[in-house]
Amino acid sequence: MNALLDAIQMVATGEVLVAILASAVYGMVIGALPGLTATMATALLVPVTFYLSPIAAVATIITSSAMAIFSGDIPGCLMRIPGTPASAAYTDEAYALTRKGQAELALGASLWFSALGGIAGTVALMIMAPALAEMALSFSTFEYFWLSLLGLMCATLVARSSPIKAIASALLGLLVACVGIENPGGVPRFTFGSTDLLGGIEALPALVGVFAVSEIMRAMVSAPPPPLPNRKLGSILAGQWDLTKRFQKQMWRGNVIGVLIGALPGAGADMAAWVAYATSKKMSKTPEKFGTGYPEGLVESGAANNSALAGGWVPALLFGIPGDTITAIAIGVLYMKGLNPGPTLFSEKASSMYALYIVFMLANILMIPLGILMIRVSRQVLRAPRAVAMPLILLLCAVGAYAIGNNPFAVVLVAAFGVLGFVMERNGYPVAALVLGIVMGTMVEQNLVTSLIKSDGDILPFFERPVAAGLAFFTLAAIFWPAVVWLIRRLRPAAAAR
Amino acid sequence: MHLSDRVTGLCLALLGSLAFWGGSRLPAVPGQDVGPAAFPMVIGTGLVLCGLMIAFGIGHTFEVEEPAEREEAPGLAKLLGGLDWLAAFLPPVLLLFYVVAADRLGFLITAAIMLLVASRALGASWRLAIGVTVLAPPFVHLVFYKLLRVPLPDGPLTMPW
Amino acid sequence: MSQFTRRGALAAGALAGIAPLARPALGQGNYPSRPVQVIVPWGAGGGTDATARIVASLLEKEMGQPFNVVNRTGGSGVVGHSAIAQAAPDGYTIGMITVEICMMHWQGLTELKPTSYTPLALMNEDPPGVQVNASSPYRDIKALADAIKASRPGQMKASGTGQGGIWHLALAGWLGAMGLRADHVRWVPSNGAAPAMQDLAAGGVDIVTCSVPEARAIIEAGRARSLAIMAPQRNPQFPNVPTLNETLNINYSVGAWRGIAAPLNLPTPIAQKLTASLQKVWNSQEFKDFMNARGFGMVWGDADGFATHMQRADQTLGDAMKAAGLVRS
Repeated sequence: MNALLDAIQMVATGEVLVAILASAVYGMVIGALPGLTATMATALLVPVTFYLSPIAAVATIITSSAMAIFSGDIPGCLMRIPGTPASAAYTDEAYALTRKGQAELALGASLWFSALGGIAGTVALMIMAPALAEMALSFSTFEYFWLSLLGLMCATLVARSSPIKAIASALLGLLVACVGIENPGGVPRFTFGSTDLLGGIEALPALVGVFAVSEIMRAMVSAPPPPLPNRKLGSILAGQWDLTKRFQKQMWRGNVIGVLIGALPGAGADMAAWVAYATSKKMSKTPEKFGTGYPEGLVESGAANNSALAGGWVPALLFGIPGDTITAIAIGVLYMKGLNPGPTLFSEKASSMYALYIVFMLANILMIPLGILMIRVSRQVLRAPRAVAMPLILLLCAVGAYAIGNNPFAVVLVAAFGVLGFVMERNGYPVAALVLGIVMGTMVEQNLVTSLIKSDGDILPFFERPVAAGLAFFTLAAIFWPAVVWLIRRLRPAAAAR
Repeated sequence: MHLSDRVTGLCLALLGSLAFWGGSRLPAVPGQDVGPAAFPMVIGTGLVLCGLMIAFGIGHTFEVEEPAEREEAPGLAKLLGGLDWLAAFLPPVLLLFYVVAADRLGFLITAAIMLLVASRALGASWRLAIGVTVLAPPFVHLVFYKLLRVPLPDGPLTMPW
Repeated sequence: MSQFTRRGALAAGALAGIAPLARPALGQGNYPSRPVQVIVPWGAGGGTDATARIVASLLEKEMGQPFNVVNRTGGSGVVGHSAIAQAAPDGYTIGMITVEICMMHWQGLTELKPTSYTPLALMNEDPPGVQVNASSPYRDIKALADAIKASRPGQMKASGTGQGGIWHLALAGWLGAMGLRADHVRWVPSNGAAPAMQDLAAGGVDIVTCSVPEARAIIEAGRARSLAIMAPQRNPQFPNVPTLNETLNINYSVGAWRGIAAPLNLPTPIAQKLTASLQKVWNSQEFKDFMNARGFGMVWGDADGFATHMQRADQTLGDAMKAAGLVRS
């Protein structure tokens, strides 16, 4: 109890509160710019943390990353440019709502369930950190292999297209992920002698290309949409309480999926959002409405990616194993500030830990008013004439892609993926599946090959461990599901004809 | 740019076989039974299978037909008439222009050219197009160069920050 | 994007109207007279990035001009390293180069060698440690070495980084020093040290040869033990971990190092001035506090010291890579 009081005192200083507020605004803005990510927001903060007290330093990272993950949904929803691979899972859904004139509902749902998800994730972190960390440590490459394959199969469940085309898109993404030297053999692969391709193709330029640039390309050959009715902007939160009651089960399921997947290092928020969206569609009573601007999937996956963010801190705080790139940076800051990750952080520095929990809570509560402000400002984008908005987005795509690694080659990639995305969409190939393939490619291959090296080429260990066997069952079921459905459809009309 | 499933499917199958062939030529790594060749070969096989299935129309029944947009686009597409689909490729061309020109012309001028061409191609009036061309590049430069410390090339024009 | 308000744009536009200025003329006399770019070939947030950022902020204090860190990623470090080498040798572009510069040219990934730069100062080196799972039977490095010698080739598995990475070469070189083949212990490539340590804790591999600071959290959590480090002396941060030399009488040491370098043909006065400032930075309390907090090893080398250090590393790593069959001509 004393520790808790100490913690409140540690947080309730001017420095910490100002740091939280400033980094919240900062994270909101960076996250909303296409091409700039939560990771970049966090990395740019590191030099600032040199001059801050330990709690304030970690608070800036917690706050700015939570805000950036939420505000990454804003360009996704308004302009179909997902800010992070995590929001790519439900970008089409949110954009469909915007096109129906319900941008506030989509953004409000994203905000409200992000905040609730973040709070649920924090509570899970508080009461179950040791248990979650134990689970994370028991996952070896065999389990990770099945998990990543399962994540990949979500692409076929999510798509509103032929499952075969979805699988083909995902395979294309995996092939893109093969490029470069970052493979288990350390051999340059499909680089055609280019130095730029040596490091592989990152997901972010691909993301910006297939979503944003292809959207601008489409605008070039289509008539401008009818202007939105300029009605008064309703309350952003008004509809959310109804949604919370209506989709309560989905929200909780999203939180649980988020915390569990988030706690697994390397899996993180990206996969959590995809798995949650796919689960939501699979379990829904009205799966045919998914993708047409229906909030059910938004609720579940929006909750999942923010609770995954909190879950990602579990292995970081207990073992110094980063759950994702953001916590990797955070671990460095923790060390620098003498808050060395490890079980001792929970026993000897309990008050500091409580202080971090309080910061998590504050950040997620602060997200709601700031988010509302941000939504109101950014909604103006929809009023701008298309002939101005689209060129500006194109410019931001160029600068944002360049900013990832200060490498002009990223801009070339954005252009190439723009063309690819445009052609794919015109022909019914889901681009989200391509992005998922690129994101998951390294993980699938890494875990497959290292598992085979460890087992000396034996397949049996992939099914021996109980968790691995369970995951294998789900994965294989997901792979063969489309074939089963196709057979059933094929047989039914035949039976009817008879 | 609507191609038939037969064309895209066969393209995928071709790409898959190229990936398989390219993968099979990768060197083995000492100390690894399963080398860097395995994964591209598996993916290549998968792509060939999927491509053939798509070419033969399997799974086509799952697709939702999008309503075709038959309205005419303003700006460049209208100008091109029958070849209006070419207009779609302007944005990637402008991105490549940015890569080539940014170092020589500097960020401000390159960005201004991009904005002017793109907004005119989308059918903006001269007033609107020039307005955005003049106002937006300095603002974007301020945000990225000053606040985010992205080293945008200067060129002949330097900003005061 | 959403920040694009009309008022903001107008204000910025007005500013732009008044102020496009010609670039100030530069003289070499009182270097530095304008901001200096510090190129980092690795991504933001990693250990190299963090070290470069603290060095840059201290140099800024020391020399009175902004030192801006720029991450030039891509090509597994090749892109950034070439950007440093190909910049104008005027002292306004310097960079942090890492041990990979002594490895990449052996693999045929680039023509760049340590001699493609004007070395300024060596700032840090982290030697590899030998870590095992806490519940493994090997209490000390001797027991482990005996077990390795007794095992059949490929039976034991080790990890720590990707195939051909610095920690892989550390293992290969150590095995070579014990008179074994480089692949006697099979290397399981991993995506960095953290996943390797996790797999060690999960029982997936037997040994991890990453640096001790990288293994620290898991060791402190009681899931792993560090048996030895491959360095000439013990690390003052981890005084209980013996060196290979004092336990096995094997004098083998490699390490992941980071230093500051400039393009070739940097004028000598500028180079000397930078090296002198870097020495002050290295000796400053802020730098020491930072390095100690991160557990990074403090090793200093001036321009000549850095050059010899790189030359030696180039030789040692080249030999290790040949032994491991990683050299491509």
